[in-house]
Amino acid sequence: MNQRCLLALALLLIVAVPASASAMDGTPGDVDGDRVLTSAEYASAALTYLDAAYMGGAGDLTRTDIRDAAWVSAHWDGRPCEITDSSGRTTTLYRPLRRVVTFSGESLETLRSLGFDMEKVVAVDKYSHGKKTFFPECQGKANVGSIWSPDMEQVLILRPDAVFLYATISTATCDDIQKRLEASSPGIRVFRFDCFKPATYPGEIRTIASAVGQKERGEEFAAFYESTMNRIRDGAAGIPDDERVRVYFEYWFDYTTVAAGAGYNEKTRLAGGVNPFATGTAEYPVVDPEAIIVTDPEVVVKLAGQGLAVGGYAGHDIAALDATRAGMLGRPGWSGISAVKDDRVYVIHSDILGGAQHFIGTAYLAKWFYPDRFADLDPHAVHQRYLSEFQGIDFDLASEGTFVYP
Amino acid sequence: MSLPANRLLCIALLLMVVPAAACASPVTRSLSTAEPAAGEVFTVSLSIEGMTLGGVVETLPAGYAFVATDLADDRALARGQQVAFAVMNDSRITYQVRAPASGSGDITGRWEDFLGESDGQVAASHVAADGIEAPVESGGGDPVPPAAQETGSPFAVLAAVAALLLASGRGGRR
Repeated sequence: MNQRCLLALALLLIVAVPASASAMDGTPGDVDGDRVLTSAEYASAALTYLDAAYMGGAGDLTRTDIRDAAWVSAHWDGRPCEITDSSGRTTTLYRPLRRVVTFSGESLETLRSLGFDMEKVVAVDKYSHGKKTFFPECQGKANVGSIWSPDMEQVLILRPDAVFLYATISTATCDDIQKRLEASSPGIRVFRFDCFKPATYPGEIRTIASAVGQKERGEEFAAFYESTMNRIRDGAAGIPDDERVRVYFEYWFDYTTVAAGAGYNEKTRLAGGVNPFATGTAEYPVVDPEAIIVTDPEVVVKLAGQGLAVGGYAGHDIAALDATRAGMLGRPGWSGISAVKDDRVYVIHSDILGGAQHFIGTAYLAKWFYPDRFADLDPHAVHQRYLSEFQGIDFDLASEGTFVYP
Repeated sequence: MSLPANRLLCIALLLMVVPAAACASPVTRSLSTAEPAAGEVFTVSLSIEGMTLGGVVETLPAGYAFVATDLADDRALARGQQVAFAVMNDSRITYQVRAPASGSGDITGRWEDFLGESDGQVAASHVAADGIEAPVESGGGDPVPPAAQETGSPFAVLAAVAALLLASGRGGRR
């Protein structure tokens, strides 16, 4: 590292540390330091601020201080908020989060579901930054790269009070980012959440909701999420093993499937499907084309998305998904497999199956696997409600985006 | 005769912003009387809507004296001609003021919504002892907090821009 880099880093530290250090000082107005901002302490703090700001009195509470004290009083009952993230680490918050950086699009999306003020998100990962249709408000925000190539200087310059990273994927890279952030700026709170796993998502929704003072909204959103997922679990629970639908789930790349460790396998299983290739050691094993024909899948699901760039929020291109499906139907030997004969070959976009919206895609899988059992389940309506009511974006599924075909 | 585009823009901006700014104040003031007798104690009521945690600072005309409030002692603070109230889920705050032997002026005020992160002025209320207009030597004024001066409200900024454009439009005609 040359002298210029060292100087730049030193300057960054000088800028970053003081700004975020206040997050560790306790709640403003808690004069006796017992970690509880009582009603009397809050009233006294409010008068001290008003006196100094308008009446010529002396006092050192800033406008941000009193706003933070009011926020803690209203949302956390005057007490610090202890957050245990999905890595198992507990962090104590004394003030609301005002400057948030997200390296995870799923956490960003969850924050938006919870009604978090997106103005307080000061920077996002490069993938979220690129989603102009889904995250239009992020276009003007700073881009901090990805967990694999983070722009640490940018993060420090932005002086965040919280940074969101993944909990259980790419743990080594996320651990490294966390270590570097905490070493350079002790006031930064690092939160680790996945926000894409069915097993942990409801808990993560509630935890993040507490952190951002949106417990009621968190309950509402978690209930909405759980109503869909529980409907799927309940509907699939009574299916005998020998009546479960055999599913060939193909990843973005031809003849690449998903095995036990992959999230897509978990969602196939949740929807009541059986994946004949689940036993593979790799998460995304390449399979012998002949083996697919031998297993005779009753349903075929093809994933579109990043590695097969058709559909999603970016455009309304049904023809592209139709072409993808037609290509599969024409594969050698496929005319004889049950899924093709019964017209049960589907294309689904990873936007609604891989991330925070996995409950929508899983509902589609359940519907495709067992149309009678899930006759009352309406994934399209669930999707539209999610976008309108929880994401708060103006997106009409009738004329925008393409997520499933047919 | 047509208006220049920039003047039309200014008028449109003001038409959009002024009513919004006027309606945005969560605090309104009413007086038991605007013409108290000399030395009479009258009541000032502040109606608060949509502000759960915040503050109000009232400034009385010179000669008028704060007497008491219905709020608990630890939620009000008087200093000179000013009185501060800590708003905590209140929909109404009342306080009493003693009128001087003579004198008139405006009761002014500022509010801050700490949770909503906004602030503004309470519309002025005119009082005159015995109904006689008798300006006093110095009013209490209406101080603006340093932070507010630094940032400025969107309304103030838009109004300033509009005023500048209007002024430049007039200049151009000459």
